[in-house]
Amino acid sequence: MKPFEHFAPDSVGEVLDLLQSIPKAKLIAGGTDLLLQMKQGSAQPDTVISLKNVEELRGFATRKARFRLGAGMTLRGITRSPELKKHFPGLVYAASVVASEQIRSLATVGGNICNASPSADLIPPLLALDAVAHIVSRDGQRDIPLADFFKGPGKTILKSGEILLSLFLPQPSGNMFYSKHAPRQFMDLAVVGVAVRLQKNQGMVREARVALGAVGPTPLRAKKTEALLTGKTLTPKLMLEAGEMAADECSPIDDIRGSAWYRKRMIKIHVRRNLEALL
Amino acid sequence: MKEFSAVGKRIPKTDAPDKVTGRATYGQDFKLPGMLHGAIRYSDHAHARILNIDTSKAEALEGVKCVVTADDVPETRFGFYKDNMPLKKDVVRSHRDEIAGVVAVNEMIARQAVKLIKIEYEILPAVFNVADAMAENAPLIQPNRDSNHLITNTYNHGDVEQGEAESDVVVEVTCKLPYVNHASMETCVIVAKFDHSQNLTLWSTTQIPFLLQKDLGAALGMSPKNIRILQPTIGGAFGRELDIYPYHPIAAIMAKKAQVPVRLCFSREEEFRAGPQRQPVEVTIRAGAKNNGDLTFRDVSMTLDVGAYVSWGSTTPMVMMETTASFYRVPHVRFKADCVYTNNLITGAMRGYGNPQSSFYVESAMDMLAEKLGMDPIQFRIQNANQPNTITEQGLKITSCGLEDCLKALAERAETKLEPAAQPHLKRGRGVGGTLNVGGGARIYRSDGCGATVKVDDFGHVSLITGSTEIGQGSETVLAQMVAEILSVPVDDVRVINSDTDVKMWDVGVHASRTTFIAGNAACLAAKEALGQIFETASELLGASPDSLKAENGQIIAPDGKSVSLSKVVRSRHFRSGGQMVFGQAFYDPPTELVDKDSYHGNISPAYGFGMQMADVEVDTETGQVRVLKLICAKDIGRAINPMAVEGQIEGGAQMGLGYALSEEVVIKEGKVMNPNFVDYRLFTSADMPEIENIMIESNDPEGPFGAKGIGEMGSSCVAAAVTNAIYDAVGVRLTQPPMTPERVLAALDTKAAG
Repeated sequence: MKPFEHFAPDSVGEVLDLLQSIPKAKLIAGGTDLLLQMKQGSAQPDTVISLKNVEELRGFATRKARFRLGAGMTLRGITRSPELKKHFPGLVYAASVVASEQIRSLATVGGNICNASPSADLIPPLLALDAVAHIVSRDGQRDIPLADFFKGPGKTILKSGEILLSLFLPQPSGNMFYSKHAPRQFMDLAVVGVAVRLQKNQGMVREARVALGAVGPTPLRAKKTEALLTGKTLTPKLMLEAGEMAADECSPIDDIRGSAWYRKRMIKIHVRRNLEALL
Repeated sequence: MKEFSAVGKRIPKTDAPDKVTGRATYGQDFKLPGMLHGAIRYSDHAHARILNIDTSKAEALEGVKCVVTADDVPETRFGFYKDNMPLKKDVVRSHRDEIAGVVAVNEMIARQAVKLIKIEYEILPAVFNVADAMAENAPLIQPNRDSNHLITNTYNHGDVEQGEAESDVVVEVTCKLPYVNHASMETCVIVAKFDHSQNLTLWSTTQIPFLLQKDLGAALGMSPKNIRILQPTIGGAFGRELDIYPYHPIAAIMAKKAQVPVRLCFSREEEFRAGPQRQPVEVTIRAGAKNNGDLTFRDVSMTLDVGAYVSWGSTTPMVMMETTASFYRVPHVRFKADCVYTNNLITGAMRGYGNPQSSFYVESAMDMLAEKLGMDPIQFRIQNANQPNTITEQGLKITSCGLEDCLKALAERAETKLEPAAQPHLKRGRGVGGTLNVGGGARIYRSDGCGATVKVDDFGHVSLITGSTEIGQGSETVLAQMVAEILSVPVDDVRVINSDTDVKMWDVGVHASRTTFIAGNAACLAAKEALGQIFETASELLGASPDSLKAENGQIIAPDGKSVSLSKVVRSRHFRSGGQMVFGQAFYDPPTELVDKDSYHGNISPAYGFGMQMADVEVDTETGQVRVLKLICAKDIGRAINPMAVEGQIEGGAQMGLGYALSEEVVIKEGKVMNPNFVDYRLFTSADMPEIENIMIESNDPEGPFGAKGIGEMGSSCVAAAVTNAIYDAVGVRLTQPPMTPERVLAALDTKAAG
């Protein structure tokens, strides 16, 4: 690691000012991704701005029938929040299977999103929950559906001077279920991650969300699968077909964590299993 | 049987409190005044000619003290085949090759500076597997050899053709065993310092302080008598530090040029790149049996990729042939192993030393035979089990032997059938696997001995100064227990001194499950000599003959009941005209022999340990995921000097073995490690560990101290075999390539489904 300058401002305003004057500065929240990159030399920032003291990034609150999740909330904070457990148990589960307790007490939801790893555990559930990214900069603010936030591995639509302040989650309709496939029970990255949300009415699917992780350059929504499920009643045959369709919709690669064929197969199995769990 | 006061007791490791509270000074914590930090520049290619090395930019970086290259040292070579050198000059032969080093005020600057060294290469063709390395016109990796073929080890007893002719069933299986890494918590670290008279002191995590003196002397072109090695608390080694590696002399070269102490500490990535790995093996075994269940023959041939330089990996066939020839009774055995140079990683010693590999193929074949015979796998093994007081065809003198008892204990547990899984896609199965392990060292040098001295001071405090090395295995505790038992003092009154080559007596090193046995016997002999001196003086004080005295709870007691404290005896002996100290010494070299260099016959160890494990697994047939539900470990350990420490060794071994079975593999691509970190090199974590039941079979070895045998390695050796047999039992596919990852299991299930 090479030496760097470190700022720890107290407010979003100060963060944005610093970003404007030092556009190449890197933001650090929990540091569980950035610090590793710095140690390995793949990131060599001259300036690092810590977000730890920024009050506006914290917390979880209800606002006008929707929920606000501060980007600086730690994964441990998510797993310990009774409100989140009540409204978003699937999201809480996803946070609980990331790495280890030590990592979870540092890592933040905003970091998990902005690091834009295809295998990030929180992203498929947030996609399935129709999360909206609330972005601020010195020029103003914008709200972008999380589904449009990612451009590629490690790449997001955030422009220079912008930060992810919070996420808005609509009142959830129906249940959401996340499953992570990894060889080990903890301390592992997802080989595939699958989030499925279904809103049903008298057994019929009114709305479906199927979001997949680690099977493409970004986490993605399997929209054809969602369409296949919408308006139908879940049957074993339909659930099987949905799994197969989702496997067709994704484009995994062979890498050290899994072969493409295996990832596609796991998408097929986990989509079906999640649907069965939501039956 | 005599009631013991210290031996056989469950005592927490004496060094544990300091370790778990952070008070222990590990090598990585160690600092000297004025110490600088080194970093190594490795090769960028698997095989290349070095055309030019430009160190000017590195030297110009602020904070850099000096840069070292091969030009700074006399051209020396080291290793069994004298094929390695500290810093490479003309040719690099693998990605691990050291070209230069930087000394700087801190590690960060040193690491930055090595990147600034500009090296021009001419890339040479490279080979990354045995077949390519053996091909005609393959690029020659070591210049002084005719080919990349290093050595063939062959072993024979009986007549395999006759054995096969007598067989009613024959099986054959080809297995591929992977590279794995020791993954010690502490990475390799060394601090080197020269004094004004050019004496070198090293603080090192080595397992072989006395051999390292000699090897380093050769590598540095200096006399071993000017090299002193100190060992700080060592954070795990598992065989990694059983040889000299280039970073040892490089640290000394750096310290010499910088003229200050220099510390060199591996990053985790370097640990994977430059450190040794467990030897990978491709092996085919043919084996046969008669309808009555008697084994007839084994025919094994294997190839081993030893990388670009030879270390201990190339000698693992010696251990594999032992399992092949002597584990269970087999009348006809043929074994052939070819070691070949490639441009891959180097291979070294690692816990089990060939046994994890040989247990896997031998026990796979055993289950295949049992199935063909329609026999219960445990009963089949009992029928062929080694027996006490027998000599194997290879010449192993098996004295104590609890193999049959281990198997019977498992048979008893196996009477409780597995509960079926809760869901139809989950299938459960059960499998066993075993190992034959040396139980008290292995004579691979002319001496397999260890020296010890025991002194008792005026206050009754006992120092055991032993040649052996503590690497976390618990030797300090069990050695203290043995000495405390003999002198009848509390274990807390015995301190073990084991960290300085200038102080301690010679020892060959910590390996081959030998410390409890060899260092234990040495410590017991020294303690007995000290006790003799104590009795000699006490007999004067008590007016009774030395033979009639006994030691109990720190007192020396005469037959008439009169007693005197041990410390008083020592003072009486010391503070008198012509006084003497209480000071016992011993050198124990076990009654074993070097194996014949051509036939490999001979009794290499004074005792043999046997272990069997039974794994219950659950396989997810849709994902290939294997969960181990329970692992029962039945081990013939001779006697447990400290049952808690034995459990620690077995359970720690199980963790390593489960990683080998299911999740660990150093993945290499064109000689480069693709997963040099703990994200993608998957150690088995505490969350993945199954329930473990320990069954200790105490066979009471006649030569072992208090009947004990070594247990350090066998806990890890037979896990993968038990797991693969359990997977077969669950889903009917035979996995031949650990780690048996979900992807590999699912691919095997697909192949089976496709017919």
